[in-house]
Amino acid sequence: MSVRFDFDSLPKQRIPRFVLSPRRILADVLSRGWVESAIPFLALLCVIIGVLATTQGYFDAANLRNLAQYSGDGGLVVLALLIVVAVGGIDLSVGSNFAMSAFVALYCFHILGLPVPMVLAASLLAGAAVGVVNGTLAGLIGCGALLTTLATMIATRGLFTLASQAKLVEISTSARIDAVWDWIGFERFLTMPVGFWVLLTVAICVFFMFRQSRFGWHVLAVGGNRKAARHGGIQVKLTILLAYILGGTIVGLAGFMFAARQNSIGADTGIGMEFFVLTALVVGLGGFVPGRGAVVPVLIGFATIYILNNAMINAGFRGDFVQLAMGAIIILILAIDVKFRKHRHRLLASTYLDPARFSLDPVRGVEGFMPDEIEAKLRSAEILAAGKIDGPEDVILDAEDRLYCGTRDGRILRFDPPDYSEVAVHARIGGRPLGLAFDREGRLVTCVAGMGLLRVGPDGAVELLADQTDRGLLSVQDDSTIRMADDLDIAPDGTIYFTDATKRYDMENWGLDLLEGRPNGRLLGFDSRTGRTRTVRDHLVFPNGVCVTHDGKYLLVASTWACSILIFDLADMSAPPRVLVSGLPGYPDNINRASDGGYWIALAGMRNPVMDRAMRHPGLRRRMARRVPPTNWLFGNLNIGGVLKIDAAGRIVDALWDAPDGPLYMITSMREHRGALYLGGVTNDKIGRYALTGADPGWTGTDSYWGREG
Amino acid sequence: MFARLNRKPPPAMTLEGVLGPNGRLDRADAIAVDAPGALACAEDGRLLVSSGCRVLTLARWGETPAPWAELPAPVTALAVSPGGRVAIGLAGGGLSVRDAAGRSLLGWAPPVDLVSIVDCLFLSEEEIALVDCGYGAGQDVLSRAPWEEAARGRVVALTRDGGATTLRADLHCPMGLCRDAEGGLVVSELERARLLGLDGVVRRAGFPGYLGRVRPMGTGYLLACLARRDPLIEFLKTETAFIAEMKATIDPHYWISPRANPEFSHDFPIELGATRLFGEVKPWAPSFSYGLVIELDAAMMPVASAHSRANGYRHAVTDAIPWNGDLIAVSTGSAELLNLGPEKVGP
Repeated sequence: MSVRFDFDSLPKQRIPRFVLSPRRILADVLSRGWVESAIPFLALLCVIIGVLATTQGYFDAANLRNLAQYSGDGGLVVLALLIVVAVGGIDLSVGSNFAMSAFVALYCFHILGLPVPMVLAASLLAGAAVGVVNGTLAGLIGCGALLTTLATMIATRGLFTLASQAKLVEISTSARIDAVWDWIGFERFLTMPVGFWVLLTVAICVFFMFRQSRFGWHVLAVGGNRKAARHGGIQVKLTILLAYILGGTIVGLAGFMFAARQNSIGADTGIGMEFFVLTALVVGLGGFVPGRGAVVPVLIGFATIYILNNAMINAGFRGDFVQLAMGAIIILILAIDVKFRKHRHRLLASTYLDPARFSLDPVRGVEGFMPDEIEAKLRSAEILAAGKIDGPEDVILDAEDRLYCGTRDGRILRFDPPDYSEVAVHARIGGRPLGLAFDREGRLVTCVAGMGLLRVGPDGAVELLADQTDRGLLSVQDDSTIRMADDLDIAPDGTIYFTDATKRYDMENWGLDLLEGRPNGRLLGFDSRTGRTRTVRDHLVFPNGVCVTHDGKYLLVASTWACSILIFDLADMSAPPRVLVSGLPGYPDNINRASDGGYWIALAGMRNPVMDRAMRHPGLRRRMARRVPPTNWLFGNLNIGGVLKIDAAGRIVDALWDAPDGPLYMITSMREHRGALYLGGVTNDKIGRYALTGADPGWTGTDSYWGREG
Repeated sequence: MFARLNRKPPPAMTLEGVLGPNGRLDRADAIAVDAPGALACAEDGRLLVSSGCRVLTLARWGETPAPWAELPAPVTALAVSPGGRVAIGLAGGGLSVRDAAGRSLLGWAPPVDLVSIVDCLFLSEEEIALVDCGYGAGQDVLSRAPWEEAARGRVVALTRDGGATTLRADLHCPMGLCRDAEGGLVVSELERARLLGLDGVVRRAGFPGYLGRVRPMGTGYLLACLARRDPLIEFLKTETAFIAEMKATIDPHYWISPRANPEFSHDFPIELGATRLFGEVKPWAPSFSYGLVIELDAAMMPVASAHSRANGYRHAVTDAIPWNGDLIAVSTGSAELLNLGPEKVGP
């Protein structure tokens, strides 16, 4: 600890407050779920603009109220059909059911003279009864939704015709007047017709049913994949039955609203309604898609069709012409929508990689230490556990000299001294365990790509500490999930500092982050007392290895693509970090303490002039990602790596390399332990052990962190 | 519209079918030779092989090659006339013609503006055709040729009295010369990946490699390839600004380009798929160096091939000839003479 550094005199690292890129915003928007309904929404906009341009006063308050008054029951039927379609069925009987429910309402009101709540209940029951028949036949018995509802459509229509012909005169000559009945039919509430508020309420209920309720999720699961839903323990037949009954009940409500408004029915009531409603649904969903409970898009589709139809009829076009034009417009909307959906993922894939110009500091401070300038010291390293492990990204030793490493298949393995040849499974985690550290109590804390921060007890019990952090401001995409937890270290106060190397790529594609060259990573802190995780510093360039300095006052963070080591002041983590080392000859991975007060830096790969140059050409990298197969993408050299030793002031004082084609090539981690250096590599199947000359033979990492008693 | 269709380059051959990968080069018998380059079959049936500044000779496969001639500069080309004369091209454009016993013959002074002799061919006992690729002794052809458009190569006919006629100029990095069945001359162009008649007719294009020498074999031909074509390099040819910057600021040794050697070095770039797993390079990994010999039929269509893939090291085959019924090739990547076994043309 003879050499020191002055934190305040180190150069500051500029860290952007936010990353603003049109391409990224486009990619983020394209990856959101709601972009699915972009085309129906645009279609509605077009229709509105078209109507505005051709019809004067169409969107006046009076006409809007009028529209709302008459559209309420149609909207309800669309929602009813949405529920049935979401569960994987179809209901052709909605039109007949609607007419029948309206008849039941009028019959109960005018002939039986029931009070309005009883009338409502009777209408709902009438609608639900048709739903029960449909659900029983199509869901429980399995007759097929199309056939069943075709039959109920015809049967209910027949029943309705018989009943309405018998009672029509009686109903129309009834003189009963009821304030509630008229209020529902004609009055306004908060300037809008009651029917509109009913539609809005039902829409909100259905929306939250699909979003939040168990039943709604079951409906979507059954519609999405019936077999998987059954394997998942969902009662598929019951769910289908209930969905039909719920749909029928909503149709019953629509019939009641219609009856209260019109106070009469005709032989043509509800005729053709099923096709009108189906059209609205298909325009909203962009096709006939089971398993999607998209309430808003479906209502948008309904509004599009309704306004289009209404405006054209108002404009005085002939009915047959309106039908022809409607058909053509709907085909156009659907064709555009289908194309958009089909190409959305391709568009997303081609815009996702968003390279930026990235200038690296020239290589410096390694004169005389490069692989072609000094002997390859790691040639003399001993190889441990060859072929028994798959990708030990990090290695660590405990006080009893046992060696631990994570592997690609999601396990943490243990090797016992002295020969470290027998493999024992310490813990099964899943994910991809990367960085490792021992806490004060001797528990192993690990960063797991795809999972977060986990802790493994001495008995191998696994405990999740953190998988989420604060959501970044100004991020279109929800970035609160920790995507690629990479390395960690534990400060004297027990806070676990760990890195989320990139928010945009998974473990399998972390290399793409280099081609992007943007600050996509972040440093996180887990407070073990409160159990809270917070983002200490966002927008770092692939933050990787983390190491608390020997004095416990500072935090070193390796920035892999920037080829630099940043240093944070643990007493003031809100201050911008300083640059301890820059211009490294390779891509630094983990960084760990050395026994003499310095630090070891693992180099996962080596820089080269061509790649450094390519980092200044974002367009080149973007075009390459689009036109060249991924296997041929220009990349940093990951086939050679090594270990650098720096002193406490950040000067490079030694370098360990293997032969160019030697077995220790992409070194991602190293630990000094009792006079030897243990080396791991994320794509290797072995661990190297290199005997250090002149190192303290009794020094261990756990002692260095937690003292002899730890 | 038809004119545009005609100008489109023919589709490049992929390494499939008869060009599909195999391990023939890796399995072949080998004799280590220091810095080999060119091959020729002497009049008495012995094999001549260049080795740095020397020419070695071999009477039977398996023997240790014996010195045959010593020259003042590295040997870059060899040719034998029907009468037994041996022409030896030297780095920097020098030429030495010897009789069958190895004695120097007077005359044969090549034109002074000849930059290199990468291949030669006796047109008669008194006239020799020399191939000048346009790149001098200090210039790494493989590094530079993909990035240069200028067609500086040419074929020159030289008589013993020093009379030189340019048979064809404006060739883009020609590397080999041979006669076809009708007696016409055909050159192989390294970067253009095609066989071009000196009459200007393209005999066959779209080869999947950077071409070395082409030699007759039976009724067909043997085509040696220095490396395989790489989608990244093909793509970078369209990135003119980046390439101009690379050429201006980086030593040619570190350029992204086909290579003669599969060595690992910390300052070479790699392609993403070439990353080692468990310390090994996968045979199917992309690589800037590759070993490939293609056997062609009389119409110059590939009929068979021999490979050394990304995990092999017998890369950069500069020459391949039939000899004593065997197929002999030179791998500069591994500095070896390879015997691919009995020669055959056709599947």
